Amino acid sequence: MQRASVQLIMQQFSRQMRRMPRPQLPQQATPAASQLLPTFTQHRATATSTVSSKQATPPPRHDWNRAVSEAERIVGYPTSFLSLRWLLSDEIANVALHLRKLVGSAHPLMKTAKHLLYNGKNTMQAWGLIVLLVSKAAGHAASIPDAEQDKSAGVLHSQRALAEVTEMIRISHLVHNSVVNLQSSTDAGQDVNTYDDMSFGNKIGLLTGDYLLGHSSAELANLRNQEVVELISSAVRDFSESEFIGERDEQNNPLPFKPGTFQRPSLSVGVDFNEHDVMTPMPIAQVLGNPEQEWECRNILNAGSLLGKSCQASLKLAGQSEEMQRHAYRFGKHLALAWQACLDAESFQCPTLPLDVTFSLVSAPVLFHLEHDPNLYALLEPGKKSVELIDYDRIHKAIVAGPALAKTKALQTKHTAAALNVLQHFPATDARQALENIILAMQDL
Amino acid sequence: MACLSTSGRVACVSRRQQTHKFICRLFLNHQLSLRRQSSQLPPAALAAAAQGQCMKKYTNNKPQLVRSFQGLGCGINQDYLSLLQNPHSCSHSSQYSGCLASSIRKHSSVHTQQPAGPVREIQIDPYIILDDELKYFYDDVRDLLQSGTSQPELDTIACYYFDGQGKALRPMVTLLMAKALNYHLNNESHQLVHKQRQIALFSEMVHSASLVHDDVIDQSDFRRGKPSVNALWNHKKVTMAGDYILSIASIMISRLRSDDVTIVLSQILTDLVQGEFMQLGSRETENERFAHYLTKTYRKTASLIANALKATAVIAQADDNVAEVAFQYGRNIGLAFQLVDDMLDFVSSTEQMGKPTAADLKLGLATAPVLFACEKYPELNPMVMRRFSEPGDVERAFELVHKSHGLEQTRFLAKKHCNEAIRLAQELTESPYQKGLQVVADLVINRMK
Repeated sequence: MQRASVQLIMQQFSRQMRRMPRPQLPQQATPAASQLLPTFTQHRATATSTVSSKQATPPPRHDWNRAVSEAERIVGYPTSFLSLRWLLSDEIANVALHLRKLVGSAHPLMKTAKHLLYNGKNTMQAWGLIVLLVSKAAGHAASIPDAEQDKSAGVLHSQRALAEVTEMIRISHLVHNSVVNLQSSTDAGQDVNTYDDMSFGNKIGLLTGDYLLGHSSAELANLRNQEVVELISSAVRDFSESEFIGERDEQNNPLPFKPGTFQRPSLSVGVDFNEHDVMTPMPIAQVLGNPEQEWECRNILNAGSLLGKSCQASLKLAGQSEEMQRHAYRFGKHLALAWQACLDAESFQCPTLPLDVTFSLVSAPVLFHLEHDPNLYALLEPGKKSVELIDYDRIHKAIVAGPALAKTKALQTKHTAAALNVLQHFPATDARQALENIILAMQDL
Repeated sequence: MACLSTSGRVACVSRRQQTHKFICRLFLNHQLSLRRQSSQLPPAALAAAAQGQCMKKYTNNKPQLVRSFQGLGCGINQDYLSLLQNPHSCSHSSQYSGCLASSIRKHSSVHTQQPAGPVREIQIDPYIILDDELKYFYDDVRDLLQSGTSQPELDTIACYYFDGQGKALRPMVTLLMAKALNYHLNNESHQLVHKQRQIALFSEMVHSASLVHDDVIDQSDFRRGKPSVNALWNHKKVTMAGDYILSIASIMISRLRSDDVTIVLSQILTDLVQGEFMQLGSRETENERFAHYLTKTYRKTASLIANALKATAVIAQADDNVAEVAFQYGRNIGLAFQLVDDMLDFVSSTEQMGKPTAADLKLGLATAPVLFACEKYPELNPMVMRRFSEPGDVERAFELVHKSHGLEQTRFLAKKHCNEAIRLAQELTESPYQKGLQVVADLVINRMK
């Protein structure tokens, strides 16, 4: 009976969410929530509409939605794991029931949930899709028995399960990241009601994230490939490590280092993981202070690691060569970085910052501008207590006037090119074409 | 083996003293609570009741009782024994000694029920026979956690609960079972034990990760007698540190390169979360409630021990029957452990547990003692349903639990699970480790923290 009611609950829940007026959210929630999804989802909706209205006259060469839906057709049914199968579990029914109590509260979990439900395609939630496309593009070893193949889609059942795991882990990280710091020294939840809301939201967020992690490890175990388990577990490690790098405000939003903290010659090549030992963490200390490489490291941990390692693991499952696996990793990593650069640049596309929009203080334009003009740091310093206290408009104005945006664009082009280059190692198939289309559409966003 | 049992005996004496002290304290606590209750009743009625009923029963039980105490005894408890032998000549009022006698009876009745085998004669301390494996246990966990990150703060938070102050119950049982199984299957090798030790590491790491997340959920301030992680660090970072411990533990297990072990152990994680969800909301009828509680207890506590033990059997390539013995032993020990834990939440003091007492009630949770007490005091039912949320609920429920037989019944249930665990352990070939498994069952039921 519970199962039958799940869909009803979710529908009801989403209706309530839609009714929830966005600008009327309590002020307190905005900064925490806006920093909530520092990777791929930042204010996509607002910014996209601005951009597209500006570029209305010449229609974009590559249409993002078309590229994605064609890609989905290529690998079978839509892959986003927020699918029926997910909605049919008892625990999620439970979560939905509890989430309903949170609707209308200021907890950032609501915003995360909203992003997951509504901005699916726009925000490239479909990481699983990328994993499946890479899997199909690479094909599989002849030794794989027929029973393990999904012939119509051209991928293995295990690869599909892995794609699901990838999305579950990513969502679990986003959800865990919406936990609010309720330490007594912080301002969050000063009055009793807010505190109760926040504390309940934390509980639900934590458990939901744990549920996803628990299930992803069970699914991973069922793949019966310990190298894959090892690789994907290390991506979970990278996610948690990424939340510890550098200075943080009270809600753990990242802040850049004070210019001049590190005196290091910049390396010609960036750093990456030790290929032979996944346990070794990213040697990030070597690149701190160098804007481009620091940015790269932060975002590999934050995004590139999971996408890259998932692509690599998927080819492991298909019995592909070590070399192909390496290409898959590099493809995933560069794609994630290109996408991040694209998102980072977006907030600075128009001369004034749209109302109610903020940006990450460790996004590429901010880091590049700090290198160009260290005086900007004075404007960032109040953020040490809370990033809410920062005058985003002033920083925005300074950055738009400087060279940082051009450098960010170059960064995006660099990683886009790298991703397209790696793709040349894959045989020409419809799946590879679909990946190219997605990348090109991303460039035009 | 001779040397093993000798060293075991030495340690056993000190442990016995501890057990003994525990029993004494149980007495004291119980005595005090009884005295509190008695002050609310007309003294005459109580005195009459005490004289009439408790004393009669007490006299019947007396010889057996004294024997059991002498069996335990190292002479610390002389005054209690003298009290016991001459209840009327002591300086206290007869009302008081009546209550004392009844409380002695209640607790001793549990202690005098011996399990199937003569467990008390087994002179083995599991911590000592596992000294080789457990000595650097926490150092190894900390090294492992440190090797996975370049961020000192993450390392600090993740290692916070691996300070060696815990009981290390899970790794101890896991390793005992591992070695008992190796003996049973006759295939002990250094390499195998090393792998089984990794499973023990996993069990402790997963346990700690769940503690770390629990701390954020429950907003508790203390654990194990020190500030809990959420009191010291940013809650977002604490959450991430929990995930980190889990990921490092998974990497470690994947390196055993055994598909089946990974599958068995991943079951633990899904059970843990499902148990937490079950704890969130319970709107069951009174009949379902106990079953719900037991399932929750299995998922939150017993599954970890049961599946870790099963994994040690799987990696030793035991057949399904042996693996099932290991699993069921762990399940029973886990259930007993949690039942005793729920009971201690009502009887032991803050210093002993390292966390406040009646913590479960304050969190709105109805554990076994409360559910048992509901039978005698149906007024508890609405309180359970509203999760003890109204002012005075916690105090009232605490009092009613002590008035009822809830604590004794909980202990009895725990005892049943321990006896079942001992029976299962006896299915394995006799060895110091197999005996250790039986001793553990005894430790679990008699522990004080």
